[in-house]
Amino acid sequence: MSGSPAHESPGMLQEAATEPLLRLEAIHKRFGAFEALSGIDLQVRTREVVAIIGPSGSGKSTLLRCINQLEPPTSGRVVLAGVALEAGQEPSRDALMRLRRSVGMVFQSFNLFPHLTVLRNVSLAQERVMGRRRKDADEISMQLLSRVGLADKASQYPGRCSGGQQQRIAIARALALDPQLMLFDEPTSSLDPELGLEVLAVMRELAENGMTMIVVTHEMHFAESVSDRVIIMADGRIVEEGESAQVMRNPTTERAKRFLHAVNDR
Amino acid sequence: MSELLDFWWEWLPSLLNGLAVSVAVTAVSLALGIPLGLILALAVQSKKTAPRTIALVAVEIGRGAPALILLQFTYFGLPNAGLALSSFASASLALAWCTGAYTSEIIRAGLEAVPHGQKEAASAIGLSGWDALRYVILPQGLRVSIPPLFGFSILMLQASSLCFAIALPELVSQAYIIGSNTFRYMSILLLAGLLYAVICIPATMAVSALERRLGQHAH
Amino acid sequence: MTLDILQAIAAGIPWTLALTAVALVIGAALGQPLCAMRFSRWSAVRFLASALILTFRSIPPIVWLFFIFFGFGSGYLQISPFQAAAAGLGLITAANMAEIYRGALAAIHPGQWEAAFALNLLPRHRFLDVIGPQLLRVALPSGATYAIGLLKDSAISSTIGVSEIAFQAYHTSQRTFHSLDVYAIAGLLYILISLPMASLARWIDIKLRARVAR
Repeated sequence: MSGSPAHESPGMLQEAATEPLLRLEAIHKRFGAFEALSGIDLQVRTREVVAIIGPSGSGKSTLLRCINQLEPPTSGRVVLAGVALEAGQEPSRDALMRLRRSVGMVFQSFNLFPHLTVLRNVSLAQERVMGRRRKDADEISMQLLSRVGLADKASQYPGRCSGGQQQRIAIARALALDPQLMLFDEPTSSLDPELGLEVLAVMRELAENGMTMIVVTHEMHFAESVSDRVIIMADGRIVEEGESAQVMRNPTTERAKRFLHAVNDR
Repeated sequence: MSELLDFWWEWLPSLLNGLAVSVAVTAVSLALGIPLGLILALAVQSKKTAPRTIALVAVEIGRGAPALILLQFTYFGLPNAGLALSSFASASLALAWCTGAYTSEIIRAGLEAVPHGQKEAASAIGLSGWDALRYVILPQGLRVSIPPLFGFSILMLQASSLCFAIALPELVSQAYIIGSNTFRYMSILLLAGLLYAVICIPATMAVSALERRLGQHAH
Repeated sequence: MTLDILQAIAAGIPWTLALTAVALVIGAALGQPLCAMRFSRWSAVRFLASALILTFRSIPPIVWLFFIFFGFGSGYLQISPFQAAAAGLGLITAANMAEIYRGALAAIHPGQWEAAFALNLLPRHRFLDVIGPQLLRVALPSGATYAIGLLKDSAISSTIGVSEIAFQAYHTSQRTFHSLDVYAIAGLLYILISLPMASLARWIDIKLRARVAR
């Protein structure tokens, strides 16, 4: 793990001493002959917000999906809250379930269940996965929907909500299982800039309340202002990593400089 | 003309009895066959070799052999193996097999039409495979399959006419018997055809309308 | 024993193939004017075409075959079982082909028609050189699927006495009482015949794809 020593504070030193929430060791992912991830090592501490940026095809989304095993890595190890999952071994149903409950994911295309009401979208996993009773689940769902500002949409169907609203509901759905880690896969890329703002506001609030988050995004301002750490990926590798302001303003590698130029000097 | 109508009026009750049998055997075949189609649609995608192979064979034969042969196999052939069924039971079994084979393809296509992201979201929130299927994939996939399943049901009603060959007293059998007694084949077959048309034509138009309506509400 | 059964049933293969081929040719040919009628300027013609197509597809084939063979055959004309079956199946095929052509026409990009007009091509050339090949390419998969269905429907002609596979199977089963084997073999035979048909269709499709891009 890298991070500029000059920016460490006493609080951060304390946390560095404890075990990181997530550890990725030598993650490789191959699709046939194509190598999407070429050896990724990453650690994320509790309450940390990490932004991953980079050109398309750099493997950012693939990395995220390797964490919650939507794409099992070809080789390497994923350790989450002490539970290790080795690549190549079929994870036990138990381990997989525990992983999925600890990690929430928000998708670029929201993926809400269109045939269920908003409330049911948020309650379903609570009932089926956590075994909560319907009344309890619905109560918690309403709390979460209030938190993202959409309690009034509870009895409607997702199709009647705007993109920004749907994404906020998706966030509520992911939060319903009380995850320790939230993964965001380009959450605002399918949204108009204005609708994207409401989603970013919710994500900002989550970060301020201490949620551990990994966000793949093209939103540079968000990456710099909300995240603690920024990672730049290209061609399946991490090419730059460090404290957000440092990486965004003063990248050290050529590849990172090239990417940030393309983004900033349009 | 009025003579024809008198003739029809005289024999309509017999034909309607036959039609009742046609509808009954179709209904039973669909009631057995469509759930079978769902099972086969899931089984052909199974990761375990045994269910997958059995399902594939069942589908290939159910779809590849003419319905007439399936009917005759069940009615004339199974007694050889010790299982002698009535013509109604044989017809139901054979047509259910046929229905299951064809509808497994229809349902499979419907399930595949569900966006991939739905399966991912269901996995990501920790739903088990069965729960994902039951709460997320099937409700959406079956909805897509409804118009083609209705269309297929109409074809099944027509297929029931083949049960003539296994002595089931359905509509065509009745018409044939009346024809061979009165020698007025043309007149009675005209009426039989009319009865099929009166059911199948509005039904077909209703399915087209349903397709259009469901298409409008697509996401 | 099984070999005898196989030989007896196999005697029906030429009839099955002949009937399927003849019905297909009749249907593919008649389907064209029927489809063209659907696009006529006169609403009466359009309505007639739709009504005919719907009627042919809404009444079971066996009724059509009985109607032609016992109906026409018993008084008006001397008509052989094969002729009656070919006529009946041919008309039903025509109705289905008309629908397949209509679907294929709709699938051709409107820009193609516009380009052909803009190039001032004669209607004949428009059709032969521009629309026709694309029509064929799009209609082929549905047409091939229908042809395999027609192969199976040809079994229905056994009920009016055409000596094809199902007919031979029935009489062999009555003769030998080995009904299970007989019908199993007959069913297998239909499946086996459909396999090269599907392969041929795929081969033609690949050839057409190479020549006619979408």
